[in-house]
Amino acid sequence: MARSVWKGPFVDGYLLKKAEKARASSRAEVIKIWSRRSTILPHFVGLTFGVYNGQKHVPVLVSEDMVGQKFGEFSPTRTYYGHSADKKARRK
Amino acid sequence: MTSDPILVGRIGAAHGIRGEVRVKAFTEPAEALGDYGPLMLPDGRRLTIERMRDQGTMLVVKFREIADRTAAERFNGLDLTIERSALPAPDDEETFYHADLVGLAVVDGTGDTLGRIVAVPNFGAGDLLEVQPAEGGTYYLPFTRAFVPTVDVAGGRVTVELPADFFDTEEPTDAETGDDA
Repeated sequence: MARSVWKGPFVDGYLLKKAEKARASSRAEVIKIWSRRSTILPHFVGLTFGVYNGQKHVPVLVSEDMVGQKFGEFSPTRTYYGHSADKKARRK
Repeated sequence: MTSDPILVGRIGAAHGIRGEVRVKAFTEPAEALGDYGPLMLPDGRRLTIERMRDQGTMLVVKFREIADRTAAERFNGLDLTIERSALPAPDDEETFYHADLVGLAVVDGTGDTLGRIVAVPNFGAGDLLEVQPAEGGTYYLPFTRAFVPTVDVAGGRVTVELPADFFDTEEPTDAETGDDA
């Protein structure tokens, strides 16, 4: 069942403060967070969060199409990489 | 550029009686397996794809060198590789093959080595570099210009610019772990 609209998206309070601080500093940094349950808000776009997966912080560079999803979706707790073969990586 | 052969697939069971085999392709998309010319076996023999078709999670491939089912059964479990030179040049200078990035040394602005790239995962929020330091577990770096300003594949290293507190082992407060409820 979907969350009621009147409640608004859930975000842990400390995360907002950290994001504001990072945006004010305007230097490239990874904001370490443990809140996998928080919703990605529009004003997080462009920031890089290090989302804890139980072992380490996985960098998550927030883009517009990620808004509305949860941070935990981008920080898997189990990983299988497969084979590199002809796969390419693009530097943003 | 790596000189190691690049694994692009693995032969599975024989399929039918006409010498076709099932192949697990690691290329993207799977049908690109046929784009890089003859495929090499671990013993150096080469296989040429005659035809192939998609069958769910596997490809069914007919190699010119495999005539019948009896021959096909002998290839079960063998890796298929290509030379790095068989891959076309990347689309632009910001795009790199994983095969080129894996193994590069990671150095900081002062020239200190921070580790070596062991994988290039993407969990849906951009490409990452997984770095194995000399001691301890691996860590991830965002593959962005801000964090990785220089990629020198020929020189075998990438230069990174990390914030001073990047390696700080910060303990979460109760509020950060959600234990304050």
